[in-house]
Amino acid sequence: MEIKFLHIGILTWITFLPVLGMIVVLLLPKEQKQAIRWTSLAFTILQVILAVVIFQNFDRTLAGINSKEGMQFVEQYRWIDIKSTSWIGRIAIDYFVGIDGISVPMVLLTALISCIAVISSFSIEKSIKGYFALLLLLDTGMMGVFVALDFFLFYVFWEIMLLPMYFLIGVWGGPRREYAAIKFFIYTLLGSVLMLLAMLALYFSVTIKDGNEVIHTFNMLAMMNPENFVHGSLLEGVGTSWRYVAYIALFIGFAIKVPAFPFHTWLPDAHVEAPTAISVILAGVLLKMGTYGLMRIAFPIFPDAAIHYLYPLAFIGFINIIYGAYCAMAQKDFKKLIAYSSVSHMGIVLLGMAAMNTQGMMGAMFQMFNHGTITAMLFLIVGVIYDRAHTRGLDDFGGLMNKMPKYSGIMMIAFFAALGLPGLSGFISEAFSFLGAFQTFKWLTIASAFGIILTAAYMLWTLQRVFLGTLPEKWNNLTDINGREMAMLVPLAVIVIILGIYPSPVLDLMNSSANALVDFVKNSAGIAMLGQ
Amino acid sequence: MIPLSHYLLLSAVIFSVGVVGVMTRRNAIVVFMCIELMLNSVNLTLVAFSSYLGDATGQMLVFFVMVVAAAEAAVGLAIVISLFRNKQTVNIDDINILKW
Amino acid sequence: MINQVLQSLPYIVPELIVTGTLCLVLLLSLMMRKKSDLLVFVAALGLFAALAVLTSQPFASACLFFKMTVIDPFSQFFKLVILFAALIVVLMSRFSDEVNQIKKSLGEYYFLVVSMTLGMMFMVSASNLLMMYLSLELTSLTSYVVVGFIKQSKNSSEASLKYLLYGAFSSGVMLYGISIIYGLTGTMELSGINQVLAQGSANTAMLLIGGIMLLVGFGYKISAVPFHFWTPDVYEGAPTTITAFLSVASKAAGFAMLMRALKIMFLDSSALEIGNEFWPLIHGIPVVEILSVLAVLTMTIGNLVALWQDNVKRLLAYSSIAQAGYMLLGLATISNEGYSAVMLYFIVYLFMNLGAFYVAMLISNTLGSENIHDYKGLGRRAPFLSVSMAVFLVSLTGIPPTAGFIGKWMIFLSLINVKMIGLAVIGVLNSVVSLYYYLRIVRNMFLHEGEKEEVAIRYPLAQQLLLLCLMVPTLYFGIFFNPLIELVQFSVQMFGIK
Repeated sequence: MEIKFLHIGILTWITFLPVLGMIVVLLLPKEQKQAIRWTSLAFTILQVILAVVIFQNFDRTLAGINSKEGMQFVEQYRWIDIKSTSWIGRIAIDYFVGIDGISVPMVLLTALISCIAVISSFSIEKSIKGYFALLLLLDTGMMGVFVALDFFLFYVFWEIMLLPMYFLIGVWGGPRREYAAIKFFIYTLLGSVLMLLAMLALYFSVTIKDGNEVIHTFNMLAMMNPENFVHGSLLEGVGTSWRYVAYIALFIGFAIKVPAFPFHTWLPDAHVEAPTAISVILAGVLLKMGTYGLMRIAFPIFPDAAIHYLYPLAFIGFINIIYGAYCAMAQKDFKKLIAYSSVSHMGIVLLGMAAMNTQGMMGAMFQMFNHGTITAMLFLIVGVIYDRAHTRGLDDFGGLMNKMPKYSGIMMIAFFAALGLPGLSGFISEAFSFLGAFQTFKWLTIASAFGIILTAAYMLWTLQRVFLGTLPEKWNNLTDINGREMAMLVPLAVIVIILGIYPSPVLDLMNSSANALVDFVKNSAGIAMLGQ
Repeated sequence: MIPLSHYLLLSAVIFSVGVVGVMTRRNAIVVFMCIELMLNSVNLTLVAFSSYLGDATGQMLVFFVMVVAAAEAAVGLAIVISLFRNKQTVNIDDINILKW
Repeated sequence: MINQVLQSLPYIVPELIVTGTLCLVLLLSLMMRKKSDLLVFVAALGLFAALAVLTSQPFASACLFFKMTVIDPFSQFFKLVILFAALIVVLMSRFSDEVNQIKKSLGEYYFLVVSMTLGMMFMVSASNLLMMYLSLELTSLTSYVVVGFIKQSKNSSEASLKYLLYGAFSSGVMLYGISIIYGLTGTMELSGINQVLAQGSANTAMLLIGGIMLLVGFGYKISAVPFHFWTPDVYEGAPTTITAFLSVASKAAGFAMLMRALKIMFLDSSALEIGNEFWPLIHGIPVVEILSVLAVLTMTIGNLVALWQDNVKRLLAYSSIAQAGYMLLGLATISNEGYSAVMLYFIVYLFMNLGAFYVAMLISNTLGSENIHDYKGLGRRAPFLSVSMAVFLVSLTGIPPTAGFIGKWMIFLSLINVKMIGLAVIGVLNSVVSLYYYLRIVRNMFLHEGEKEEVAIRYPLAQQLLLLCLMVPTLYFGIFFNPLIELVQFSVQMFGIK
């Protein structure tokens, strides 16, 4: 499947459109605030349209994962090519992008969330030229991560995101923004340098044939084939200790982004301080990169280590679920509550992945998508109330139901979706994840299921505190949600409801890939174990 | 005939005296003199080796070292004077605006 | 005899041009005292001409002046780096208020800068301990003077004295090391030493002492811990232009000398095989261990101390110590790949470090301060300057898509290739630490509001153009690094070795 425009493939367009937008924004004069806003919006809407085109033309039967033929919309060009010398072979790096069932939902999600984030950023007033330029750059980085199939390219996109994020939190954030921004930056950089080392070790262990020359490569798909590993290299063989080390290095890199339990402390700070739109992006897309990285890179490249560490992974997921829920329950700050609920929900993704069966994997992937939409809604909701009341203290509110009926309606949808009410999208993905996990880890899953009860408890309690009771005097002049806010919340709500009733549009996208991934990991690890 | 080791020992001792002087003395001028001592001990080693090996390179280097030492002294004293004009001291302990 | 001198001359045309330039600058400064622009023009033109001749020269390989110096791709490469840095520094000096306040002796200033350049050019091609010592001293003596060039400034003259004392001391130690090696091997020529060592008759303990003493001299030039004590003081006290020059060119020259000495003296050429990552080393000398310890100390201490610096120049001084540590990592691999990684790092470092110092200089021109707290709110007052500073600092940290990432990437690539995982881990953790203090500058510029009223600062077009010349390569080479790697892989060849 190939769609081209001006001889450039659609994935390149969807990735680099925001950069074009950034250039346009930078060329506009500082005073033209409206022009800057609408240009950014135009470019992100264009991105959404491209995403819809991809959605329409995506072949649901192809699995992808480890074969280039299974990847769709593939573009592969030589980016760096250095002829070999007597002491080191040829260095060749490809610009290699393509998508399969794991990445398609993420591409859709990124386009959607970016567009909504731009809409929600219309209320920003402080140096908006810089703001939108950085936001668009961030968009490119995120999209790039989800389409890259070359590890080097992946890494570059992964890192490109950091700097815009630092500035977006640091300049436009709340009172403790500096601390939050630097904490975010240092944590993620720590993770990514470990990833860098694992990537280099892989580079020297894997070779492919290029013409009649044998060269080292950063090609992820090549790294998934055990036959490509050079004899005597660091990561050769199965179940060798260096493979475990490399897997753990990769895992830490991704786990910091998820954020999995011991590495999660940057998240509440970053979320609380970030402006609404950035929180939305952070929760909606950035967290997914961690789990996506595990599925795309860590699992298929190190199936032996992945299988070996399934239980610890599930256990981390369990801690995330329970710990996140308990922390959320203790929060008085609306935004912090949502942040911890993210930790809890990402735990479900980890648990589902760790199940290593089709249901679990499907559940995890679907949960990634759903969490993206639901949490984005939740943060937008917090943003709406914060814009009006300038406080996020849960105890400051009460009785908003009558004052802001439309707002309450939307908030209900988001909250019930988050706590997994049947009929809304969150239920399906959580059910799949737990079903899958139950087959592999019985007791751990039962224990994790308590997380759902906790989630229900704090969500309902929050609803009660905000909506029921009596309206404090000072909020008598609160206005209900306005048109712009409806424009960003309603599409998300519609998606949440539709996917709750009829999830197959998204499930169909991932079905074959999820199957293939599970089979691939199990088979290669199984063959490996037999060989030993 | 005095054996080579005597020369080497002597120059090693002079060198050490120079090093200790640089470390312990506080007057910039005296520190300079100690550095000169180090350089001259090196000259002694070089000449001794040169004559022992029957090779002229060592003696060649000695000439260069002497020239460099002279140049270093000239530059060094000029700098000390410039510092003295600014701070009225040549004591190294007083030269402490820049720290950690 | 005269024949060999005459035959050697055509190979050193760039050096001759530089020599001519420095004489011309001195003469001009005597004749017309007021024409400072003319001086800059002549100096820059001379350096540019040397650069042009250097690049047009076929990359020849030959032994010159009775084996005192050699010409090979390796030395040509480093001359390129040094001349380019000198050219930028001369142009920077034109815009520096600090330097231009000394109207009377501007001629000497440019004269000294150009002669430093000359000394460094000989340093990188010296293949004999005698020549190494002499060229090192030529560079050092001129730099002592130029560091203390602002006579009225207490900082400047203090820095100069410290530089001189440390420099003279370490060159004395180095000289003693030379004499020991000479005594053991009977020659000062690097390849001759290698032949004697290969026979294995030399006393290893004495050789080790001599080698370490030699290393003191090199370590001082590249400001490796524990020979770095002069660096922060000198970098802070010297005029910013000179600091920039010392941090790039002087370090490059020191590294080139160290790399050549290491490879030519200790490589066991009898066991050399094509295609082997590691070079076989002459047995008995723990080169790899010494370099690894040095590298780890240098980057860790440089980075940790930089965390609490408030003076931007001093912070950049510690950062440049840390950067030397990363480069030493490349050396510790003792492989062609590590060497080419270090050379690549130097090209990248040239742009980003000169850029950072240039911005610091421009800011201190207008604010009169190098304190990090005075940088607050600059992001709004001077956006272009601040954004480019951010680019340089991000590049120094080594985050894509800047050239600094490619430099670090190559170094870690070479480390992983020879399976030095531990060193690589320490290296990457260090770059995470370094992020914190580089971001401190960025944070003050963008995240804080200035205390004074926000008046936009305007800079003349020429100054911005020079800045652009440094920033564009920093970004461009981060994405298209093909030519860089090809250049260094070609240039890693040294005379006399396959």
